Amino acid sequence: MTDLLKEIEAQIAGAKTTAAKQNVGVIREVGDGVAKIEGLSDAMLNEMIDLGNGVTGLALNLDETEVGVVILGDYTQLKEGGEARTTGKLLQVPVGKGLLGRVVNVLGEPVDGKGPIKSDKTYPVEKIAPGIIRRRSVSQPVQTGIMPIDAMIPIGRGQRQLIIGDRGTGKTTICIDTMISQARLNKAAELAGDKDYRSLYCIYVAIGQKQSTIARVISVLEQAGAMPYTIVVASPASDSAANQYLAPFAGAAMGEWFMDNGMDALIVYDDLSKQAVAYRQVSLLLKRPSGREAYPGDVFYLHSRLLERAARVGEKYGNGSLTALPIIETQSGDVSAYIPTNVISITDGQIFLETDLFHQGVRPAINVGISVSRVGSAAQLKAIKQVAGQLKGDLAQFRELAAFAQFGSDLDAKTQAQIDRGKRIMEIFKQGQYNPIPVEIQVVVIWAAQNGYLDQVPVPRVKEFQNKLTEYFTTRKAQLLAKIGKEKALSDPLKAELKTAAEEFKQTWK
Amino acid sequence: MKITKRVKRETKQLYRFCLLNGLLDENRVRQVVQRVIAAGKRDCPSILAHFLRLVKLDCARHTATIESATPLPTDLQTVVQTGLAHRYGLGLTTAFAQRPELIGGMRIQVGCDVYDGSVRARLEALQKSF
Repeated sequence: MTDLLKEIEAQIAGAKTTAAKQNVGVIREVGDGVAKIEGLSDAMLNEMIDLGNGVTGLALNLDETEVGVVILGDYTQLKEGGEARTTGKLLQVPVGKGLLGRVVNVLGEPVDGKGPIKSDKTYPVEKIAPGIIRRRSVSQPVQTGIMPIDAMIPIGRGQRQLIIGDRGTGKTTICIDTMISQARLNKAAELAGDKDYRSLYCIYVAIGQKQSTIARVISVLEQAGAMPYTIVVASPASDSAANQYLAPFAGAAMGEWFMDNGMDALIVYDDLSKQAVAYRQVSLLLKRPSGREAYPGDVFYLHSRLLERAARVGEKYGNGSLTALPIIETQSGDVSAYIPTNVISITDGQIFLETDLFHQGVRPAINVGISVSRVGSAAQLKAIKQVAGQLKGDLAQFRELAAFAQFGSDLDAKTQAQIDRGKRIMEIFKQGQYNPIPVEIQVVVIWAAQNGYLDQVPVPRVKEFQNKLTEYFTTRKAQLLAKIGKEKALSDPLKAELKTAAEEFKQTWK
Repeated sequence: MKITKRVKRETKQLYRFCLLNGLLDENRVRQVVQRVIAAGKRDCPSILAHFLRLVKLDCARHTATIESATPLPTDLQTVVQTGLAHRYGLGLTTAFAQRPELIGGMRIQVGCDVYDGSVRARLEALQKSF
């Protein structure tokens, strides 16, 4: 006992207490989710500020005598004259596989009622994007399961592909389909024990959406079994503007963890127009000078620094990737507005969705003519490239001829055949929502269309033919499909097998 | 009262004029206030309000408030004053105050910098850590 007492006494004698320096300020003004704090001379940009009462803020404006802070939380508890102090920390969110299958808010806190998140690592929400040395070019595909995209506007891992269109044209659906497709591929690879397959994890960032819409997306993902591979970052319309502006950055931080650890991730920002509006609100409240459409001058930088974080890194740096699918909502198809033009110029391609096409029954309502993927073709599967290489050109020609044929003039046989083929291809590209098509099936269907197997099928029955063909191949020619999936290219023997199978099917088709 | 950018700029110039060797000169401050009032410009109240704010902030930057639960002995006061002068340079005014709620230890504030070695602060930190 005496030894113990001596030991404690020695420890007390050896213990040194120091008063750490703190930087404090006084709240001068508070309201609308923004506070002006006098003092805080050591505050850093984007530093978290402790405003007391458990409320934190983010330092966004560093002036000579005061700091402009956006409040992350309930600002009604704060009062003028209250003390604020710097924390020396940047805003961070938890990262890791523990977040998969969860719905979190901007701060990475669970909002799905499934208990605490198992994560011991955090990442800052604002991070410098990988530099030139760390990057490598896009070379692996993201199989969206949406035929016109995989065939004509392919997306590669590490690419930034914009999805743009008016409200109600199916922008979110494309992203959900892509996420479901990834989940199916991941699951199939896990079941087959395919170690070469690189699972693609998904992050869905919902910005400024109705809570009911977010709940619907989550339920669709759950029904499709995609939630175990997905993280949902929710910042609904009822969230503060600051939270809505920060949500994509929080999602990007979660995605970066996968990339930094040699894994692949896909992030959907739904949508960046609403984030820009939230940022405009914050900037105006902070009394920053406004520019075009009242957006602040750095709204381009806001999106460019976010989308630059999507990358494919070299093998030396883990070989991971982060693919970004930002969504932009246009007003009456005006793609020349400020935010759409900004994001178009930042991304590696765009998928245009049109209201007219949507109402004509072309779903997904992709305008293939003006949609483009600038880097994705390098990542496209060889088999798809072989069958769909000429497709975009053929369709462009078809549209031109179809427009000409509207005048009702007589057409020569060759032109008529081109128009007929085009109509059938347009028909096979129609696809139901939440039903991604495996790549092998896509190859078979496009191959059949390109080789004239659909030419004799009346246009209204093309879809029926496609469904029967798909059924025939999945039930009776599963081995052939597996071969296509394995070889990822159409060799001559495979083409011969395809031909035999297609002939067999044609005989049964009535 | 709306303080425009121009008012801020002009007030800043007046404030700079009041500095002598990096420290605020009281006579100059008085002169500036008298001259601005005498000039009777339309934006005189906003200039003076902003000027007052800058002077207040300057005073806070050059004032060390030392709080303790019990009165500090003179020798300790000297040690603290010397230490602060060494860290913040000359021209620092020190004010000693008593705050029994600190329980023990000392709390020093110079402008935005706070060195809180009080028992109360430590108890609060301990409470937060749980």
